[in-house]
Amino acid sequence: MAMRAPAIDKPADGPHVAAEIGRLAVLLVVATLLQTAVAANIHILGANPDFVLVFVVAVALLRGAEIGAIFGFVAGGIVSIALFEPPGVRSLALVAVGYLVGRYAETADLSPNIAPIVSAFVATLIFEAFSLLSQFLFGREVPIVYLTDHWVIPLLVLDSLLAVPLYLVARWWLRGERRVRISET
Amino acid sequence: MARKRALRRRIVVAILVVLSVALLTVYFREPADGPVHRAEASAMHVVAPLQSGTARVIKPFRDGWNWASQLFSAQSQNRSLRTQVQQLRSQLAQELLQQQQNTELRGIQQMRDSSVFPRGSRFANARVIARSTTAWYSTVTIDAGSSQGVRVNDAVVNGQGLVGRVSAVTPDASEVTLITDQESYIDAMVVPNDAQGLVAGSVTGDVTLQYVDRSEKVVTGQVVMTSGMKGSIFTRGIPIGQVSAVAQQDVELYQSISVTPYVDFHTLDLVMVVL
Repeated sequence: MAMRAPAIDKPADGPHVAAEIGRLAVLLVVATLLQTAVAANIHILGANPDFVLVFVVAVALLRGAEIGAIFGFVAGGIVSIALFEPPGVRSLALVAVGYLVGRYAETADLSPNIAPIVSAFVATLIFEAFSLLSQFLFGREVPIVYLTDHWVIPLLVLDSLLAVPLYLVARWWLRGERRVRISET
Repeated sequence: MARKRALRRRIVVAILVVLSVALLTVYFREPADGPVHRAEASAMHVVAPLQSGTARVIKPFRDGWNWASQLFSAQSQNRSLRTQVQQLRSQLAQELLQQQQNTELRGIQQMRDSSVFPRGSRFANARVIARSTTAWYSTVTIDAGSSQGVRVNDAVVNGQGLVGRVSAVTPDASEVTLITDQESYIDAMVVPNDAQGLVAGSVTGDVTLQYVDRSEKVVTGQVVMTSGMKGSIFTRGIPIGQVSAVAQQDVELYQSISVTPYVDFHTLDLVMVVL
């Protein structure tokens, strides 16, 4: 199935704002439930997929840096609460992911079929590097080689595989993308 | 126009970054009943029932998947029974699910009735509703909280042995730090010879018994259980696991002992909190 090129966000018109927020909120709830209740049961190649991260990537590709960063912040906060993680760490990482992927969508000439995969791959790298650094700063044990072999590489594969279906789901649910010319940004 | 949008975007991101850092800072600096912790507890009021519901919906699929995996290996060992097994699959699946649950409940009941826990101990049964999905934390969320009398540092067990300890509590749910977590340390002893040490988790998920003197004779297959030392949060005699390897090096003061936990953390479902 050929995909349309991920395109760039433009602020929605007044009457559509509430519907847009509602759709993003539903996506947020679905992503959070998938992450907290389903992801832990999917143990492939030694890692659990990161649904929230991939949904943040999809939203950032479809709606741009600003919405991507906000979606990442809120999603990170909710998942942190649900999993009793220190709040702020996941949010900060997902803000960075949402913003960078959004900027990539706004400024780069995207190849239609591989943009979600490339974005998810890079976003996973950024997220895991950030997690590694934050855990190091928290004074926890950080065996980099072990984690790279047993966690990061399988996760890169899993998240990249999930990128296309979740991107298509997000695009369908958000009623496609709103385009602006790259020159406007 | 474009410049305005770019400026707004940068301001929004800057605010989100500052908010994240502020949240993190306040969380670590405030007491356990501080505003961020309270907000977290309030949010769990909403999140926990959703997680609980989703976990219940998913459980049959998860169990079905596990059952199918087990069935697949059985079929490869005995292909002649395949046809018959397929016909009975649906019925068998239901029976296996019930049997598994009964076994878990029976194990918990046996643990409860054992002499491990002092007379008059109170217990709260709970179900695992979420699990940590990062490599960094070995934690699960259970559907019992302060409303059921659960408090931080309560021991959590199941029919197989020690699961972990309660590390955070909200009215409706609690976080349990598993014995495999790298910040988990438990006073333990090897029986029958009573060698004392600390059972520690790790980021790799391996469990080791540390600080056991080299003079102590420990062999593979011996049982490791909580020692109930003064000040320990665990009562004496809760089974933890079995010694799976022992290594001694001349330059080390202590032995390096690997422990295989009795609890299967991948299929952890029903647990009991010792109040």
